[in-house]
Order: sequence, then C-alpha cells, then structure tokens
Amino acid sequence: MDSFQHRRWIIILTMLFVTVVFGVRLLYVQVLNNDWKNRAEQITHHKVTIHPARGLLYDRNGELLVAVNQVYDILVTPKDLKGIDTVEFCSLFKISKTEFLQKIEHASTGYNVSYKASTFIESMSKEEYSRVVPYLKSFNGFDSKRRTNRGYPNGVAAHVLGYVRKISAEQYSKDQKVGEKYYNQNDYVGVTGLEKVYEKELRGERGSAFFLRDYAGNDKTNLEENYAISGNNLYTSIDLKLQSYGERLMKNKLGSIVAIEPSTGEILSLISAPSFDPNKLSGREFSENYKELLNNDTLKPIINRPIYNANYRPGSIFKLVQALIAMQEGVITENTGFVCNKALINCHNHEPPSNVQIAIKHSCNPYFYHVYKRLIQRGEEKSIFKDSRIGIEKWNASVKSFGLGIKLNTDIPGVKPGRIPDANYYDNEFPSKTNPYGKHRWAFSTIYSNSIGEGEIGVSPLQMANLAAIIANRGYYYTPHLVKKIGKDGSKRPEYLKKNYTMAAAKYFEPVVSAMEMVVENGTAMGAQIDSIRVCGKTGTVQNKTFNDHSVFIAFAPRENPKIAIAVYVEYGTWGGIWAAKIASLMIEKYLVKELSEKGKKKEKEVLDAIILDKHSDFK
Amino acid sequence: MENRAKNIIGKVDIPLLGLFLVLVFAGLLTVYSASFSEEYPQIYSLDKAYGKQLAWIVISLIIGVLILTLEGSFIRNSAYIVYGVVTLMLLVVLFMPAIKGAHSWFKIGGFTIQPSEFAKFATSLAIAHYLSTSGIKIQEAKTKVIVFFLIAVPGFFILQQPDPGTLLVFFSFIFVMYREGLSGNILLGMFFAIIIGVMAIFFKASEANVSFFGWVFAANYLYLFVIVIATVLIHFGITYLVMPRYRAKKYIINMVSGAIAMLLVFSCNYAYDNVFKDRHRDRFEVMFGLKLDRKGVGYNSYQALSAIGSGGPAGKGYFKGTLSNDKYKHVPEQSTDFIFCSWAEEWGFLGSFLLIILYTAFLIRIIMIAERQKSKFTRIFGYCTASILFFHYMINIAMVIGLAPVIGIPLPFFSKGGSAILGFSIMIFILLRMDSERKDVLR
Ligand SMILES: [Zn+2]
Repeated sequence: MDSFQHRRWIIILTMLFVTVVFGVRLLYVQVLNNDWKNRAEQITHHKVTIHPARGLLYDRNGELLVAVNQVYDILVTPKDLKGIDTVEFCSLFKISKTEFLQKIEHASTGYNVSYKASTFIESMSKEEYSRVVPYLKSFNGFDSKRRTNRGYPNGVAAHVLGYVRKISAEQYSKDQKVGEKYYNQNDYVGVTGLEKVYEKELRGERGSAFFLRDYAGNDKTNLEENYAISGNNLYTSIDLKLQSYGERLMKNKLGSIVAIEPSTGEILSLISAPSFDPNKLSGREFSENYKELLNNDTLKPIINRPIYNANYRPGSIFKLVQALIAMQEGVITENTGFVCNKALINCHNHEPPSNVQIAIKHSCNPYFYHVYKRLIQRGEEKSIFKDSRIGIEKWNASVKSFGLGIKLNTDIPGVKPGRIPDANYYDNEFPSKTNPYGKHRWAFSTIYSNSIGEGEIGVSPLQMANLAAIIANRGYYYTPHLVKKIGKDGSKRPEYLKKNYTMAAAKYFEPVVSAMEMVVENGTAMGAQIDSIRVCGKTGTVQNKTFNDHSVFIAFAPRENPKIAIAVYVEYGTWGGIWAAKIASLMIEKYLVKELSEKGKKKEKEVLDAIILDKHSDFK
Repeated sequence: MENRAKNIIGKVDIPLLGLFLVLVFAGLLTVYSASFSEEYPQIYSLDKAYGKQLAWIVISLIIGVLILTLEGSFIRNSAYIVYGVVTLMLLVVLFMPAIKGAHSWFKIGGFTIQPSEFAKFATSLAIAHYLSTSGIKIQEAKTKVIVFFLIAVPGFFILQQPDPGTLLVFFSFIFVMYREGLSGNILLGMFFAIIIGVMAIFFKASEANVSFFGWVFAANYLYLFVIVIATVLIHFGITYLVMPRYRAKKYIINMVSGAIAMLLVFSCNYAYDNVFKDRHRDRFEVMFGLKLDRKGVGYNSYQALSAIGSGGPAGKGYFKGTLSNDKYKHVPEQSTDFIFCSWAEEWGFLGSFLLIILYTAFLIRIIMIAERQKSKFTRIFGYCTASILFFHYMINIAMVIGLAPVIGIPLPFFSKGGSAILGFSIMIFILLRMDSERKDVLR
C-alpha cells in the first residue's frame, strides 16, 4: 500500500472543478444569456427585401404618362477600396477628383458607414452603364446595382406628375419617429405631385424573404417569404393631347392653364408655364437640373403656378360671383339697373347698365360698386361700421361656397386657400398686422375695391377654373382632382364623388351665363369665339404695379351641357382679351372639335409666335 | 483458447467499455452531422469524413480486441520497444512533406497517420514501466531526470513538427508524478505560478489604470505592489504565529516565493511587450473578453460561441444545426477541433452538460480502475490515460467555450481524426486488458 493513495481525491476534485466551471459557463452561454443567440442570428440570418414595382400613371384615355426605365447605380464600399487609379476612374466616370473625394467622404460619414455599400453614382442609363461595366471590376470596392427608375415618354405634365427621389434624411427620420416606419434609407419616395399624394398607393407593399446563409454569404435555406405587393397604377384625369397642346401654346409665356370637366371635377389639363421635361428630374443629373430649375432660371419653372400663387386678384371675373350672390341675397334682381357713375369708381363708356347681363357684358365698375355696397351695408344696424361687419361676414360665407378663400381638398400637393377677407381680417390684419384698421373703424367705403375683384381678394388659377366649372354646372362643383381611378378596377377617392353646392340657386345662373356668352359674342373677349361652339367666358385683368398687367380669362363650353371649363392666366400678358382668351378658345376647340377651324389655325399661329417672356427676361 | 477469450471478456470492466463505446458512437454521429454531404449520404461513404471515421473506429475496435488477447506481461515488456518505435516514427515524420504547414503526418493512400497521437500511449507505457521498476523512487532526482527525458524526447520532436497543442498534453504527466509521490508543493507552486502569470497577463492586456489618491497607476504595477505587500504581511505572520525554531526556514520560503512571484510578473510584462507577437496579444485580449473580435483572431472563438449559444437549452435537433456543419461552415474546423460546437448546437445545454458529465464519469472511472490495481505498472498507466484524456478534454472544451485561447487539440473520441481515435482506443484497451487480469497478477 502506498502512502499517496489519498491524492486520487485531489485529482478527482480537480476534474470535478473543471467540469463545474464548464457547466456554469455553458449554462450562461446557452441558457441564461441571449447575446450569443442574437449574434448567431446575425451570422446566419439574411433578410432580403423584395421591392414591389411602383405603379404607373396613365392619362384619361389610357396613354402612358409615367413608365419605368432600367437604370444602374454604382455603389461604393469605402472599406474595400484598394489601389484605385483615381485618374483613370475619374476619366471613366467623367467626374472630377474633388468630386470623387467628396463622394467617398460622403459614403463613409453620416448614416453611411464605411463597411456598407452606398450609392456612388446614381441612375446611370443603360448606354452609360455598358460603357463603364467592363472596367468596373478592376476597381476594388465598387459595385453596381440594377434598379428601375421613372421615365416619361411624353415629357409633359411635370408639375402634375411630380418626381421620385431617394428618401431624404429628414423624411426618413420622421418616418421612423412618428410615421409608420415603412421606409429604408435607400428607398425612393414621391416628392411632389401625384407621386407624393398617391405615394402609398403607388409604392405597393414591400416583401421580404429570410434565408439562412453560409459563411461565404450564400443563401442556403429559405426560412420564410412574404411576397411583395405591386403598387397600383393611377388612371389620371389628364388628357395627354390637351395637356401637350396647352404646354405648346404656353411656350415663351409665363402663366397657367387649368381645364376641368365640369360634370365630374376631373382636371383635364394643368399647365404651368414655363414647364420642363420631367425626365430631367429622373436621371443622373437630378441635382444639377434641380438647381437650374429652382434658382438659375429667373422664371423659376419648378414652381407649380396654377396652385402656387393664390394671391392673384381675380379682377373683373369676380363680378360674376358678386352678381350671383347679390341676386341670391335679394339685394338686386336680374333686372336691377344702376347708373354708371364714374365719380364713384372709374369706368369706360358703354351703354347704360340697366340689368345684370349688360353690367357683366361691359364689366361696369360703378354697377358692382353699388351691388357690393348693398351686400355689405344692408341697413341692419344704424352704425355703418357695425352694419359692414354683418354684411362682410354674410358675403364671406357666400363667396367661400364658390370654393374661393378655402383650401380645395384636391390631390395636388401644396394648394393654397387664397383670401376672401372677413371682419377679422380688417380688424386685425389689414393693412398690416402691427397697424390694422381695428374693430368698428372700417366700413364699405374702406373696402369697396373688393367689389370689382381688386382690394384684398386673392385666388389661384385652379380656383378660377373651378369657378368656371361652377357656372357651367349652374351652381355646384366637384372638388377638382387628377385621378379617376386607383388601380385597374379601383375608383377615385370618395371625396371627389360629392357635389358641393354654392349658396346661389341655379336659377340665378342663367342671366350670368347669358352675359358670359355675350362677352364672347360681342364683348370684351371676341378673341375667344369659335364658330361651331357657344363659348361663355369672362375676361379679367390683374393689375400689376411693376410691369404689364396679367391677362386672365375663364370660360366654359358649350353653353348647354358644358364639357370643359377653363381658366387661363398669361402673366404680364396685358389686357385680358388678348392672349388668355385666345389660348382658352384654342384649348376648347382642340378638346371639343379636335380639328381646328381656319380661324382657329390662324389664332394658333399668332399664339405660338408670341414671345411674351422668355427665360432671359429680367424682372423682379 | 476459446475458454481464454471468454475468460478475458468476462473480466473486462463493463462501465468503462460502455462509456467508451457511448463516447465513440456519439462522436461518430456528431461528425456525421457536422460534415454531412448530400452527395454521399451513407455514413459508411469513405469519401467523406464520417465514412473514414467509421472505418477508423472499426479498425480501432479490431485492434482493441486483439489487445485484449495479449498477455499483460507481454504489453509491459514491450513498453520500451513501443516507445522506441514511436519515437523513431516521430523523427522520421519530420522528413515527410508538410500538410497545412506541419510535418505531422504519414500519408498512405487516402489515409493519413499522425504518430504524435501514438506518442501519448507509448510515452505512458514507458513511464509506467520505468516508475514501476522495483527500486525506483520518484523522490530521487535521478528518477525525475529520467522521467523528464522520457517525456522530453518525443516532446522535442513534436515541437519540431510543429504541434504545440499536442506538446501541451505532455504536461499532463505532472498529475501522474503527483499521484506517485512528487511533492505536492511543486504542483501547488505551478498552480500558483499559473494563476499569478495569467493575472499578470490579464492586467497587462487590459491596460487598466487605477487611480489612487490622484496618482494613476497601471493596474499591473498595483498588482506587483500587492504581491510585495502580501510577502511583507506573511513575513510578519511568520514572526508572530510560527514557533521560533521553524521561523528561519519559513522566512526563506516566503522570501523566495515572493521573489519568484515578482520575477514572474516582470517576465510576463516583458514577454507581453517583447516576446509576444500582435496575434498572441490579440488572442489573450479576446480570451479575457477585453475585445469582442468578429473577424481576425477572434473569429473562431466568436463563431464557436455563437453556435453553442444558439443551441439554447434544448438544442436545434440532430442534423438541424445552422452554424457548425459543412453546409453553413460558420464555425471553422467544425468536425475536428470545434466538434463540440456541433454537439452543443444540436443538443443544447442538456446535451452539452450531459457530455461533460459523461466525460467526467469516464475519467473518474479510469482513476477508480487505476486505484484498484495491485500492479503499479497498471496503476501508473491508468493515471497516464486519465491525465492525457483530462488535458485534452479540459483544453479543448475551454478553448471552444472561450475560456482559453485557441489551441489546436482534438476532443477525444469526438473529433474527426483516425490516428487520434486509434491512439486513444489503444490506451483504453490496454487499460481494460491490464485491469482484467488484476486478480491473476501480482506485480
Ligand atoms: Zn360702366
């Protein structure tokens, strides 16, 4: 027997000790702590995003407005950059060395991290890409990705359609914080126009697939797949031919055309001049083009004029509204006459305005001075100040029922309400917020310029076109909108199926409609005549202090069962009848008859030849 | 003859044989799952690792049965011959072409043989034979020197391959020496030296600073300071607590060990700065958890722990692993050194805990067998077997679960590798054979 027998226990205890340590460690790694499970998931799980195809846009006759182009992005992973011949690279991709360095810097900072690929050059066309692709492989750290991009086969309606852009950092963080957390940093979203308003419908629903990947990153086993749902196509109300024609007519001019189908409120064309080719904001040169459109061009083509400027005073056109409200309110009848007293407010020589029709036909200022006075000072209070307050509130409510002074709930982003003044406005805001008239310190005599559409009234071209549609409908409108159908079997938004009635009854519209027909037949807008169609219209002149007045014309046709209502603004186009009326009649004729008459063709040539303003015009 | 075979089989230790077979079988199934290929689905496909492993297991069992038929005395008497032959093989293998940068293998047809695996049982046989020779006392310096050379000669050749992992296993003989009467102080001293050394490297690697009344120290210097204080405290402890006539000796021990401890810390610091390469330093940092390294040197460890952790409490199920197998290959060497990952991933904590329990039971059973021998040779050989297997088990699992730096060393009976399975099987069967005749032989 040896004396070291007991040492077996030391050795056995050592072994047990090691096993206990292992057991505790395994318990920790496998059961108690989840870190290693999560790390394992990071290692093995690979999520692949399946991008749905974005919906396309069609015009009202099924013509494609927005299509899809195949483009290529060049990606860079800054960490993997190795031995790049910068000179060669820059000459291949046609960029400067500073630009190259800036882009690399950009790709490694902010939410771009150096070991992740980020976009280096965006949206290369197929032709460009095929030129560089043979050399791409020799530049370590660069890669490419195929993507679809918006394409515009007709190059029109830029403002209507809007454009699509990679989500901005602000929009992304907003979506993450308070939004639906849908977007990824590299997603594309609609930024303006229909692309923005119908973003949700167009984008569809993203799908995803989970894979188990091997050490080399190959997807080996499909764990789960959620299919992507393609975006809906939009069937717009735009008439491509009319839109293109309008854009052509507005070449070398500044202004807007809005044409509406009165019976539905569908916008047939929405033109902002000068316009631009929407393809400019789709391709690789987005940034340069955008800057050019926004800043470098004094005419600022990026602005969507039909809705952007809601401070145009409606001028004489507003007399139509005044007449309708006054008849409804009973302060005049169809046959009420006033003396054309030029001492009250200036006028030109014309036959005595013995009824509403004649007053409208000659656009008699004193006549509507009286009308407005009766609307504002109704004799309900002794004090003219108190009386005017009551009057203006009633008047304001009536005018707003014509879609003026309110924000139309249309599907054009950025619409503005314009302004129809009320008591509060003169109490607290006019002439200035710091020094307003104050309560009971203004009366009709202070605000009478509103009577003829001057003064403090502001409207947008869209609202004017809607006014034409209201008169065409004899008293109601559908909120103007651009989309007829969402998806092939879809419908339009429900709010666009609702009739909005004005506060003027239908019967009061007939004398106004007759007057508008006379305006075109032998009044101030004879330039709008079309032999085969009964056109009703009204000219307006928006006075402009610094330059020529704006030329404005609204019209609808035919007189019975109108098919089109239109507003045309030609900025600095001097007096209303000249350009706006001609352009409106050409639009109407083109839309209703397709082939222009001889007279129409002559008019067309005149309009096309007219250079009212070009991009070199220097004005403030 | 028939009678004799029956006689031997009847006396074989069934628990040890059973545990051995369970481990080998579990190992084979794990290799099958870890390196499964759909091209060769059969477990006996010799084109794949599992087929070869199965073949080696069969060969090992046949050789094992042959060993059982040998006379115990024959085995004992052949000890030096086996040792000599294997050492010669270790020398010759150095002239073989390198595989993965090491001259460790003989290549014969589709099979490779790794003589260092045989060196483990050969050296065990030689040590057992030498120490059991009558008149040999382990306390004598001469004995220690001879044992040292018995270990060092094959160890030297193995280092030349180079195969530092296997060399490390040769340190396990210290347990055998301890059991046979080597002073416990040497073992204890080594133990403390390891603790002090590891802590010194830890402080050095962590580059921690300690603020002390506005003075900022590097933590490893504070640590050194603590050792000095401890030495001084023990000095006073000796002064007051130990009887005067024993004091002088204790003082010397205290002083010497304090000095050695300080020297050790200094040399660790020096080695860390000047001897270690960056990759070594990185390995220490990863091991101490100072750095979580997904790529580079920490890659193996990171992937292995991810695989083990992903097993969770109950595992993903046999053949359902998603990290440590040939299909996904997230864990490197998943059928050799990191085979434990496959097991732990598929069977979870329950499985991995069961496996370490099985191993421990296996080791303890070997010690129990060793202790019941009348023959000193068998006892020493048994301890050699237990120590070598223990070292393999300890280092391999510690490495895989991130408690030790990555050292290439297989998990016995589990890791793919024919020579290893054969070598370990020979050890077990020699032990079984010797044990079966314990009542017949008095030696
Ligand atoms: Zn007049």
